Amino acid sequence: MASPIESEIMNYLKSILGADLIEVYRQRERRIFANVKSEAVRRAIEALKNKYGDMRFMTLSAVDAGLDIEYLYHFHIDGIVLTIRTIRPKENPILESIADLVPAANFIEREISDLFGIRLVNHPEPEPAGLILTKDWPEDKRPLKKPFEGVLPSKARPVAEALMASGCVAPISAFVQKKREEAGLPKSAPFPFTDEKALSEYHGIIKLSGMGERAGFDWEKKKLRYK
Amino acid sequence: MVKYAFFLGCQIPMRLPNVEVAARKVFERLGVETVELLGYSCCPEPVVSRLIDEEAALVISARNITLAEDLGINMMTLCNGCYETLAEANEILKHDAEKRDKVNNILKRYGREYKGKIDIKHVIEVLYEDVGLGNIEKLVVKPQKIRVALHYGCHLYREYKSADIMRKPKMMREIVERTGAQVIDYGLERMCCGYPSMQASEEFSLKERLARKLSRINSAGVDAVVMACPACMIQFELGQVMLRPYGIQFNIPCINLMELLALSFGVPSKELLIELHRSPVQQLVKKLGV
Repeated sequence: MASPIESEIMNYLKSILGADLIEVYRQRERRIFANVKSEAVRRAIEALKNKYGDMRFMTLSAVDAGLDIEYLYHFHIDGIVLTIRTIRPKENPILESIADLVPAANFIEREISDLFGIRLVNHPEPEPAGLILTKDWPEDKRPLKKPFEGVLPSKARPVAEALMASGCVAPISAFVQKKREEAGLPKSAPFPFTDEKALSEYHGIIKLSGMGERAGFDWEKKKLRYK
Repeated sequence: MVKYAFFLGCQIPMRLPNVEVAARKVFERLGVETVELLGYSCCPEPVVSRLIDEEAALVISARNITLAEDLGINMMTLCNGCYETLAEANEILKHDAEKRDKVNNILKRYGREYKGKIDIKHVIEVLYEDVGLGNIEKLVVKPQKIRVALHYGCHLYREYKSADIMRKPKMMREIVERTGAQVIDYGLERMCCGYPSMQASEEFSLKERLARKLSRINSAGVDAVVMACPACMIQFELGQVMLRPYGIQFNIPCINLMELLALSFGVPSKELLIELHRSPVQQLVKKLGV
């Protein structure tokens, strides 16, 4: 059961972040995790800092998850460790600095920038790169940067893409369409892509199941984020 | 009249419409009524979808099953892979309340609910159990006087209704025999054709799986291979072409069970899109004079 201070922190995060708070939970005694949309991280930290004057920034960790970088901001508040977790896509590898709010974040942000090849935005140092590595270190050879890859091996990707985009894993050729018509069959079987309502339902169900997210599917482009 | 929600899958309508045409003609003659599943999706394809997320794959299967539940009739599949995916999902969801609740929590957003009220059958079960061998035999007007090897396909051995994994393969053999064809054993019936391992290694799949089977089948001196699975059909036919660069040549006609039935029922071959085959089925048909 959450202690009064644990409950207070969780409720405060809910009140200040609203829909930008994806999830907040007490992992164990004196340990809270909050999954936050990336655009709301600074707002959360600023609000927490204002409410808890003795809040201490412990560190920031970054994890390369293949398609995204996961950032974990660890804070100490009155005996509780609060981790604010967010993810940012690797297609645009930037990190908005919090060093103006929390000066202790200055060096760790620079370290992450060097090791993962991430560009810092609004960092107080005019040239934050080059803390660990030399300034001319090649962009594509960062020590902790992993290849831009999702869970699927290359040969499985076209099948996964077709499954999520159209609901059918076997694309039809114009020749087969013609042959179907010659044989008195409709051009295609009644897959979701033949009906707008069915396709919308199908896509909605896939999104809710989490399959698209786990596969790294870009819903706007209707393609996997990796080739 | 027997009535089923007809789950066509992906490969048959989009790549092998010859199998769909044959099946529809066979059903028409046997009095099997099929109802289209409007808006159905891939079953989903088990290897890739489970690689992404097994529970999400279950949701897609459940949505497909609810389409048949809405019609209030059992579902029939023509494809071994779809049969396995959907029948397995049906079994899991019927017996695992926790998974069923998770799936229904998603489906309910779209006004759907998996109820576990229907059965999923492979077309072989429908032909054997609902139509009956006697009724099939009655319609055979052109007995196929050919020697055939059978390739059942791995997923046909999946069994949810008894402990006998040979239940459906035995049914298939008896159905084939009723068409007048002589089934020749070649000893490697249970070996996979290599279709799923194509994703991992094309050379292994073709040389260590398909070529081994084809070699035994060739030695058995058959006129054709009869199969029930569209994925196996693609592997057997396209695989014979793909083996040529490796210096391995076969020229064995491959036909689906539904095509064999249609030919034996006297459906003219020109109505069956036989020309879509990548193996010498046209020569076989010429030889049979159908």
